[in-house]
Amino acid sequence: MAESLSYTEKLKKWNRFEVEKFSKKAPVTTPYPFIDIEKPPEYRGIPHINPEKCIGCGACVNACPPDALILEWDKKRGVKRLTFNAARCIRCHRCVEVCPTGAMEPTNIFEIATDNKEDLVEVVEHKLAYCEECGEYLDFTERQIEYVKAILPKEIIDMYALEDRIGLTQEAKMRKTVEKLRETEGNAYPAFILVKKGGEE
Amino acid sequence: MGRRLKSVWVYHVDAGSCNGCDIEVLDVLSPYYDLERLGVKVVPNPRHADALFITGPLTRQTRIALKKAYEAMPPKPRIVVAVGTCASSGGIFYNSYALYNTSPQRGRDRLRSGGPEMIVPIDMYIPGCPPSPEEILYGVAQLLGIKEKKMKGEYWIALPPKETPSKENEVEFRIPDRPIPLRYWLTLREELRRVIGYYDREAVLNDFIELVDRAFKESPENPREKLHDLVTGYFLKEKDSRVKVAMRFLENEFWRLYDEYHSLGEALRKKYPVTAGV
Repeated sequence: MAESLSYTEKLKKWNRFEVEKFSKKAPVTTPYPFIDIEKPPEYRGIPHINPEKCIGCGACVNACPPDALILEWDKKRGVKRLTFNAARCIRCHRCVEVCPTGAMEPTNIFEIATDNKEDLVEVVEHKLAYCEECGEYLDFTERQIEYVKAILPKEIIDMYALEDRIGLTQEAKMRKTVEKLRETEGNAYPAFILVKKGGEE
Repeated sequence: MGRRLKSVWVYHVDAGSCNGCDIEVLDVLSPYYDLERLGVKVVPNPRHADALFITGPLTRQTRIALKKAYEAMPPKPRIVVAVGTCASSGGIFYNSYALYNTSPQRGRDRLRSGGPEMIVPIDMYIPGCPPSPEEILYGVAQLLGIKEKKMKGEYWIALPPKETPSKENEVEFRIPDRPIPLRYWLTLREELRRVIGYYDREAVLNDFIELVDRAFKESPENPREKLHDLVTGYFLKEKDSRVKVAMRFLENEFWRLYDEYHSLGEALRKKYPVTAGV
């Protein structure tokens, strides 16, 4: 196993305190609060958002059973906030399963007891994409657009001219399609009356 | 908790818990974890108790019982420990009709409220569903001043692509470089979840990607046979049969995708000629 270790390899690396300290005569009671210990590698601790990889798509929010993850839009400031509340998390790791970028990282951290609930909250703030034709913010982030461009092959991006259209709102996209049709077909469809944004014809 | 507490006597209240957390509290008192060596003793009467262990999301039926237990405690230390995710915030039952929730908020803001903190002030939150005995030990040890707090709230600002961070909490965007295209990686990863689960899949997929890279570099004319040889060679070193099944599955799935994207793509391009912009 090369980059990240498999379960068996991780289990070999886990040093249990009994084996390390008291190789033959292990005491019955754990010395835990007076020493530091490590949970086994497959222990499901609280997940952690890696802000380097997160694109703010909200797949984890849809999967989360107790709504520990919340997505909020602030269209005035043009940001989108992904909030993870560990006080609500039941450690099912469904978010780790569904994350398309691997930004939700499983950990085996167990020492999370605290006297202030604000310590358990993790927020990632994303910037929304901006449509310059309409002057409005879109529903999705700039990172999402970049990721879509990375997924699709270049032929499909060329075929649908996505490079120009992907950063537009739905309305602007439709307007552009009708304009293009009018150009190529030359007023063959009189039913398409194009209304400019100011309300004039 | 500034000063060090000694020999805290505890009364345990079940505020509508599913019994998971109660069993973990029982485990903490067993000889292996032995909470009593820290001076903690479970007493049968709130009048003798210094601290209250609350489990459960505070149902309407248990509200009066919890309030009575809290008021019967001696007024001086009156420590309240919330054990479990439900007691910390309402947990998975947060929007149940059976819960007592005085929060005036509705909709999404309601998600941030719930649990026994509606009627009693809480000194220590121990989240977990259920919290393992070590987690409860850590919470109690922190209350007694043996361990330090380790969690910290975080606020990251995820920068758009091609921007460099200027502040401390700003993070730039990075898509990791992989030898196969991102769409292959995504599909394989999603299919692999059904075969091997989420825990091992990143490690297995990374190994497979390396083999694919080697196969295409070492014999560009016939990568199919080369990859088959490489996977078979991988089997000799790997002892885990789950990983073997997953590797063979990945090989078949990869060539299926490869054929689909190449032959089907050609057919599609013939059927629908380029219609740019419409």
